Amino acid sequence: MSYVTARGGEEAIRAAEALYRSLLGRLTPAFHEQLEARLPYLLDRLMGEGGVWAPRLAALALAQTGGDLYEGVLLLRAYRTTLPRLSPALALSREELCLLRRISAAFKAIPEGQVLGPTLDYSQRLLRLEALYRAEAPPPPPEAARPAPERYPSVSGWLRRKGLLQAPREAAEGLPDLTTEPLRFPAPRPLALQALARADTGGLLALGYSGMRAYNAHYHPTVSELGLGYAEVRLPHPVRGGAFAIGEVRLSFAEVVAPAQPGEPYRLGFAATLGWNEVKVIAAALLELEMQREEPHPARSQEFVLLHTDPVEASGFALHYKLPHYVTFLSNLLAHQGQPEEVEDA
Amino acid sequence: MPRLGYSYAFLDPGAKRELRRSLLKAVALPGYQVAYASREMPIARGWGTGALQVTLSLVGPEDVVKVIDQGADDSVNAANLRRFIASMSGARTTWDTLEATLIQSRHRIPEERLRPHQILILQVPIPEPLRHVEPSEPRARELHALADYSALWVGLFEETRRFRRSLKGAAYPVMVHGRYVMDPSPIPRWDVPKLHQAPHLTLLAAGREKRLYAVPPHTEVRPLAFQDVPFQVERVRARCRRTGVGHLFLNAIPGEGGLEHELSDTSVLEKLRAGRALGETYYDLEGRFYRDDVPV
Repeated sequence: MSYVTARGGEEAIRAAEALYRSLLGRLTPAFHEQLEARLPYLLDRLMGEGGVWAPRLAALALAQTGGDLYEGVLLLRAYRTTLPRLSPALALSREELCLLRRISAAFKAIPEGQVLGPTLDYSQRLLRLEALYRAEAPPPPPEAARPAPERYPSVSGWLRRKGLLQAPREAAEGLPDLTTEPLRFPAPRPLALQALARADTGGLLALGYSGMRAYNAHYHPTVSELGLGYAEVRLPHPVRGGAFAIGEVRLSFAEVVAPAQPGEPYRLGFAATLGWNEVKVIAAALLELEMQREEPHPARSQEFVLLHTDPVEASGFALHYKLPHYVTFLSNLLAHQGQPEEVEDA
Repeated sequence: MPRLGYSYAFLDPGAKRELRRSLLKAVALPGYQVAYASREMPIARGWGTGALQVTLSLVGPEDVVKVIDQGADDSVNAANLRRFIASMSGARTTWDTLEATLIQSRHRIPEERLRPHQILILQVPIPEPLRHVEPSEPRARELHALADYSALWVGLFEETRRFRRSLKGAAYPVMVHGRYVMDPSPIPRWDVPKLHQAPHLTLLAAGREKRLYAVPPHTEVRPLAFQDVPFQVERVRARCRRTGVGHLFLNAIPGEGGLEHELSDTSVLEKLRAGRALGETYYDLEGRFYRDDVPV
């Protein structure tokens, strides 16, 4: 005989979820389309941390959680993990990316030029209050005098050819996959880069900023190249061999360089993520650079950074504190306060 | 019927295979923490995702699943997990400890004795018993490899010198099979002796921390303690306000006239209130443990 298991707890859950959903209102395909078209940077952040490229699903995750980013990332990750992993995509070199924006802080001019692309960096951040009362169409961007190049040479490639930059540390032979194996330390660089790619933007920013502001201020790394653009995803064809493209994803990357020993080539820090998220890749590249030091500051060690910036793990554990803890609380209380008979016996 | 549109029991076959292999390794090395990939689950990370993955990798349509949170089947998180497991696997669910084949639990071991065919799956927040004395994972791994647990012993010695007892309540560290020190998950000390030479298999899973470990049947599990200051379980000198029982673990509940108490184990509570017989319990009416080779 089994107990009837639908009781207080389950009814309460259903009612609580119904209340949450009723406050958010109807979910419609048109709304998801709007989100996808109008909030690309928000969706990019979600997909970067979710580790999956699926704009429509990201829009749905956002709508379904009322814009709660941590909940949204969890939805995407939990859905993604159920999908079969059909094939790893072919590796792309930096020079195969189609970039809309690429700038270098290291040199005034770089081969093929600084390309500002779509950005607010050099604009006044004023609320356009008029738009509260009447629709506002964006000004059309001016016509380009000549078509942009399809590909741009890599700044770090140039530095390396000039002997100014250390050689790459690890070959990308037989790439490990962070989603199918645990992160252990010291972590190989590909796993560390994957963890940074999926890390929480805010978490990376806080840790990265602590290094920038104070705790590694004795040297100042330089952004040798920052890029936003598209990457074509190519797979090996399962039947006829060769490669074929299945689509493209938005992507951002940052490369930072810093001096090693005097007279030696510079060291390179790198990070890339799905979507356009500049603050994330800059912070991540700086952290990646600092993790390589002999004895990094504890808050910039690989273990500290990578274990504490996963958005799903960190937010989930923070929220678990609201679960009931009455057995553990009582057990700890009794251990601390002591019980008369325990104290007498001891 | 299991839910359509998803793999049976949610996890894809590759993930299940990896979990089962890791579980076999964990069973072969009692108390040793096996690293595994740990997939994201559709519940918050840190809310039992590790144990949920283990449950889903073991469950079949013939299984009977029980889920408890701090002893209670009706706790909202337990209800949510149970509903998910049932909908994804088609397995039957129960509150009755004796009837269950798989028991997923957060921080309690049931009061009725588990039998050889039952598997207990404990949710673990922090699998590393050395975490408080050695925060670095590679260094802690090295200490386990060397069986160097001196930092824990020194800590226990210092507490004993200062307070005449250990201040550790839940998650009391245990030595498994004379080899690995293990965090038994934050079960109260009351539940720790139940792991010693138990006829059932206990699997412990930490999803966020990506570690699995196990206590196979008939394994030595000894709480860390000095010979002259033995390990002791909590003794709540009170009676359950709903059943009058005083020999099982009670929750403290703030009431009008001070603390009131209630049975923590809902399976037992429900049976007593319905006038049904209990299975054999680990502790008898006098509070004696069923084995005499472990201190309580």
